Amino acid sequence: MLDGVGTVARLGLAAVWFVSGGIKASDLNQTYIAVQAYDVLPSGVVSVVASAVPFLELALGLLLLLGLGTRLVAVLSAVVLLAFIAAISQAWARGLSIDCGCFGGGGQVAAGQTAYLQEILRDIGFLVLAGWLIVRPRSLFGLDGWLTGRPAAVVGKE
Amino acid sequence: MGGAERTARKRRQEIAAKRAVAAARQAKSDRNKVIITVVVLVVVAAAVIVGVVISNSQKNKTADAAIPTKSVTLSSGVTAKRDGATVLVGKDTAKTTVDVYEDFLCPVCGNFESTYAQQLEQKVNDGTIKINYHLVNLLNDRSDPVGYSTDSANAALCVADAAPDKFMAFHASLYGTQPEEGARGYDKNQLIKLAQDLGVNSPTLSSCVNGGSYNQAVSDAYQKARTDPALAQEVGGQTGFGTPTVLVNNKLADWQDPKWMDALVSQS
Repeated sequence: MLDGVGTVARLGLAAVWFVSGGIKASDLNQTYIAVQAYDVLPSGVVSVVASAVPFLELALGLLLLLGLGTRLVAVLSAVVLLAFIAAISQAWARGLSIDCGCFGGGGQVAAGQTAYLQEILRDIGFLVLAGWLIVRPRSLFGLDGWLTGRPAAVVGKE
Repeated sequence: MGGAERTARKRRQEIAAKRAVAAARQAKSDRNKVIITVVVLVVVAAAVIVGVVISNSQKNKTADAAIPTKSVTLSSGVTAKRDGATVLVGKDTAKTTVDVYEDFLCPVCGNFESTYAQQLEQKVNDGTIKINYHLVNLLNDRSDPVGYSTDSANAALCVADAAPDKFMAFHASLYGTQPEEGARGYDKNQLIKLAQDLGVNSPTLSSCVNGGSYNQAVSDAYQKARTDPALAQEVGGQTGFGTPTVLVNNKLADWQDPKWMDALVSQS
């Protein structure tokens, strides 16, 4: 039962990373504009972050789908999500008018069209999935169980 | 040797064997965990590196290439005069004034130019209209590296000073092969090269472009336009200044509607 919940969390978070990373990677120019709009990083760093984040997300999605190093990948996912939440929060606190660009898009928007609260709550929801996997990384259909020989998967002669 | 003793020894051996198997299994499991950790970190690092490589190859299309030139034929009497960050192009006798606020990085400005540039040139040449090109840097932080909006506007103003008859061609060339928003623009050397390719031979041009002689004027023009209520338009539910903004005789024109050109005839 708990393994089932873990499986849903793992595959759910994998889907989130695939979708968000895929959209970002397919329009790297837009991703650069989105990162630039947060107005926190020096311009040379913006370029590197905007190039790396989409592929980092895809890598996390792939590892979660495979169920490889689930706890570590969940920790990395949580770190990335916390960084996103911090970035959105600082934009909100400073009164910037931007779209988070979480799932594509991004950049400046009209003052009345920001959705910081929803964006942060959504990320907290994803953080819950990551949190579950950090506390209890076991799940079904993953490489971890197979490779680390957890009792249920071991066939031994007594 | 009693049967009980034998059984006890056998049991001890079995326990020892089980422990050995469990220990071996544990060792193998631990080793696999280390391998998994390494694989995860390698995959993540590789993804980041691949991302930077892919991104660089996509975004730097404009690097090390000469900007293709476009020529614009102006009839006699058509002049180009720079004033601050604005260039007035046309015959002195033209009665209708068109004001265009543009940013060389702005894709919609590119659409505007590709749709109307020829018709506008024709009306400038036949003396119907004169055009004030206001060069602003609204999208200055949207090129990678930042600054193309300012550099290109400054360079166009430098050309307007150095060779007024080449301003329109320089302007048309930059829109003809416009860099993408979010990607690399053209650097100063490429802008200078374009001017030279168009036949601008002024010795002061490169110092004007490299020194950013009109950067401040361009930024000031943008700040002024941004806060000018007469230039505010509603776009996507938000009222404000955007590019391109087009005015005909100081009245905002809806250039998305092709009929806006009709006003240029009727008012002349």
